This record gives sequence, C-alpha cells and structure tokens, in this order.
Amino acid sequence: MIKIIFNLILIASTIFSQTDSFNFQSPHNIKLFADYLFCEGDYLRAAEEYEKISTISDDTINFKIMISYSEIGLYQQSNLKYKFQPNSLLTNDARRLFIKNLFLDSPDSYYEKTGSELFPFQLDSLSLNYRNKLISISFLFSSVENIPAEEILYPFELQERKIILSFYDQKKDPSYKSPLLAGVFSTIVPGTGKMYVGEWGDGITAFLITSLFAFLAYDNFKAHHNTRAWIFSGLGAFFYGGNIYGSVAAAQIFKARIDFEFNDGLKLYLEQQNYFLPEYDFCK
Amino acid sequence: MISVNKIFYALSILLLCNSAAYSQDSFDEQYNYAQSLFNEENYFDAVTEFKRLLFFDMSEQYSFSANKMIGLSHKQGAKFSDAIRYLTLAKIQATTSIDIYNCRIEIIKINILRRTISKALSLLDSLSNDPGFRINIDEINYWRGWAYIFSDDWEKASQSFALIDSNHFLTTFCDSVDNDLYSVTLAKVLSHIPGLGHFYTGEYLSGLLSIGWNVLWGYITVNSFVEDRVFDGLMVGSLLWWRFYSGNLQNAEKFALQKNLEKTNSALRFLQNNFQGERP
Repeated sequence: MIKIIFNLILIASTIFSQTDSFNFQSPHNIKLFADYLFCEGDYLRAAEEYEKISTISDDTINFKIMISYSEIGLYQQSNLKYKFQPNSLLTNDARRLFIKNLFLDSPDSYYEKTGSELFPFQLDSLSLNYRNKLISISFLFSSVENIPAEEILYPFELQERKIILSFYDQKKDPSYKSPLLAGVFSTIVPGTGKMYVGEWGDGITAFLITSLFAFLAYDNFKAHHNTRAWIFSGLGAFFYGGNIYGSVAAAQIFKARIDFEFNDGLKLYLEQQNYFLPEYDFCK
Repeated sequence: MISVNKIFYALSILLLCNSAAYSQDSFDEQYNYAQSLFNEENYFDAVTEFKRLLFFDMSEQYSFSANKMIGLSHKQGAKFSDAIRYLTLAKIQATTSIDIYNCRIEIIKINILRRTISKALSLLDSLSNDPGFRINIDEINYWRGWAYIFSDDWEKASQSFALIDSNHFLTTFCDSVDNDLYSVTLAKVLSHIPGLGHFYTGEYLSGLLSIGWNVLWGYITVNSFVEDRVFDGLMVGSLLWWRFYSGNLQNAEKFALQKNLEKTNSALRFLQNNFQGERP
C-alpha cells in the first residue's frame, strides 16, 4: 500500500516538475516578453526580441518591429521590415508607417521622394493622400519658396487646413529683420539697428555711450587736450563699429530664432497629431 | 545486507528531490546566464536577461536580486536615473536589513556619481540616523567623504575620512589637496591692489597687464580732475578705470577658480587611476 502511494506521489511530482520547467526562449515566451518590453517603451530590446521570432509569419509582429525601429529613430531599418500581403489587416497601417518613416528620415527633402520605386507596394488612394500630406509638410520644412497655398493645403481636411495655412503664412512671410538694414540703421544713428531688431535696451545704451564718447572727443579736441581727445575718439569708434557689427549679428540671430521656432512649432503640431496616423492600442 | 525496499525508497526520495528542484533550475540558469553577461561587462544584454527573468518570475523569488542587478547594469552604462529606479525597486523587495542597506548605499553612490550631492548627503544622514545601521557608521562616513570630494569640498571630505581613521590614506590625500588649493577669497582681497591677486595665482603676465591698465586709466582720471575737467574725470573714472579695476577683481577670482579646478581634476584623475580602495 505504502509503495503504491509513494509511486503515485513520485509520478505526480515528476509530471508537476515537467509542466513547471520553463523555456524562456520558446517563441510564445519570447513574444510575451517582447510585448511587455514594447508596452514599457523599451523599443530597442523589444525589436531584438521580436526579431528572434520574425520567421513566424505574423503581421502584428512585423508591424511591431517596424514601430519599434521607428520609435528609436532607425527609420530605414524599420522600412526594411515591410513585408505585408495586400489582404493583411495591417497593410494600410504598415504602408502609412512606411511613408512616415521615409518622411522622418529627412523631413526637409521628403518632397523629392515621390518616385514609385521607393515604395515596395502600390500606392492606393489612402496611402497617396497620406504621402501628399507629408509632402506638403516637407515643403514647409524645406527652403523651397513660392509654392501656392492650394498646393500645400489640398490633401488636408477642413479643420486641419486652418492650422496648416497659418504655418504656410509664417513660412511665406516670416517676420525676419534684414541684417543689411540693421547695419545701415546703426551706421546712420548708433543703436537704431538694435532697436529695429527689438533689442531696445541695448540700442539705447549703444546710442548713449557712442554719443557720450563722441561728445567727449569733440570737447577735448576743442579744449586742445589732444591725448584724452584721441582716447575718447578711439573708444567712440570702437563702440560705433561694435554696434554696427552687433546690429547685423542681432538681425541674423533673430532670423535663426524665427526659423527655429517655426520648425519647432511644426514638429510639435505633427507630434500632437501623431503624424496624422491613428493611435495603436497594442498595450491596452 | 541492504534490502530491496530500502534501495527503492532511497532512490525514490532522490528522484523526488531532483524533480522538485528541476523546475527551479531553469530560473536559476536564467539568473546565472544574466549574471555571466553582467560579469562579462555585457550590460545591455544583462539588463535584457534580468528583465526576462523578472517578467516570468511569478513567485517573485528573484525580484530583489534581478532588480538590483538591473540597477547595477544601468549604473555601469551611466544610465543613473534608471539605475536608481531599479535599485529602489530592489530595496522595496529586499527582505534583510543587509540587502536594504546595500541598496541604499548603491543609490547614494549613484547620486555621488551624478553629482546630486545634496541628495547623497541627505540619504547618508538618514542612514546614519537609522539605529539599525549604527554598526555601519564607518562606511557611511566613507561615502560621505566621497560625496564631499565630488562636491569639491576637500576639507569636509578629509574630516569625514578622519572620523574613520585620522591616518586613512584619503584623509591625508584630501588634506594635501585642500592645502594645495588657492584661496579664492584671498585672491579677491589681494587684487584690491591691482595685479596682486594674479601674482598670487601665478598669472604674472596678466598681473602686469592689470597693473598697466589701472595705472594708465588712474593717471588719466586724476589728471582730468587736476586740469579741472571734472566731467572727463568722472567719465574716464567710471567707464574705464572702474571697469578695468572691477575686471581685475573678477579675473583674480576666475584664475583662482580655474587653477583650483585643474588641481581637483588632477586629484580626481589620480584617485580614478591609482586608488585601490572602493570608489563610487
């Protein structure tokens, strides 16, 4: 009797141990772990794990690999992972992600990438519209000028057009200050170039100091105190020249700031709009 | 003569133990594999494997050790915020006071490395105020000393190491560095006589130039007043002489700070390359 009970325990424990022995590298477990990493935002590790099981024909895995590489800025590598059949449920999403990757790889020259040979799929109306939206955005990032507003706006829906139009207006008529004009202003009246750029405090100070040194130089020459007169002349000339240079530089810095703020605003808008893509809910 | 029954029971017990241990083996193997990656300094993969272990460890048996190792791996990769996050998780999962203490010390060391010194010092204070860790007071003072080293307060560092042993290598080393540093206050006070602060920090050419400029503008200022050109004197005095005089004060301070930085950097390099004891 004891032998029978003992044998039963032994068999049960053996079976139990076998079911409990764990294979960390089974495809199922790799996928579970990769999903966890993906949802944690650890995209590099997630991509590595998904790659281990990428031989399994699973569109969701392929799509997640594309997203993971895209999230860490490896856009070309992400696009290399595009292998979807036209009838797949994720084909439309994958196509748009492919287009987004092409755009993010070089936002300011994406509009040049219009050839169909760049796409491993036929552009349907949905993809075409999405590509055209990003081409319009690319024009806004680029240094290309004089593009008609209609050409930029036509791919967008009505509510998007208002914002895109405001970006377009900023791009077309930026509130730059001319470095040449700033220099000329400061040459005629010291400090006015700085005031033109909006640096009122610096402008007034430059005006007062240069005028003061000019007056002191004049007054000392008049009183025949030549040494001091030359010192004040030298200092006045130094401030005068410095102010002209400073005004030109201030106008250039002003231009760079306007460009930076424009690009930053556009990037922020795109991120808020998720690059006109739907939010995926793989982690909900 | 051993009976067949006895042999049967002995073998059965052996098999039973083996089979019970078998399921745990795969988790142990995973832990050892991750640990070996850590030992090989392959910290990225070590983090992946420890994370894998944590993810599948439903019994939470490895929660402490895996979190701790992830924290240490991140520390080696200089991802200090992540390191602190995982070490804090390890501290929460720790079951013994030694483990809790070790995690807290690691967190302090990371704060020292990332130069959040005030945080490191407050953590050290809370550790030394904890009656359970009174026994570790020497180690706490040791890391307090390092915290002061990284905040360039070599005098306080020396005092902290002296609490462990007045003849401790780091006590004498910090003392010598502290004695070797220029006094920024003295440099500023001396430079009230133009150029003297520069001479004190060994910047002789700058000192001579400073004297020259101050003598020139001082002479022109005084000369203007002597010649009854009061407005000239006021302008030269305020716009030029004062500018060069205050510049001389600022330069003396800047040179003292710059020279001190060179000395402390060289001391830190020495400790990094030659010091055999424990470092953050």
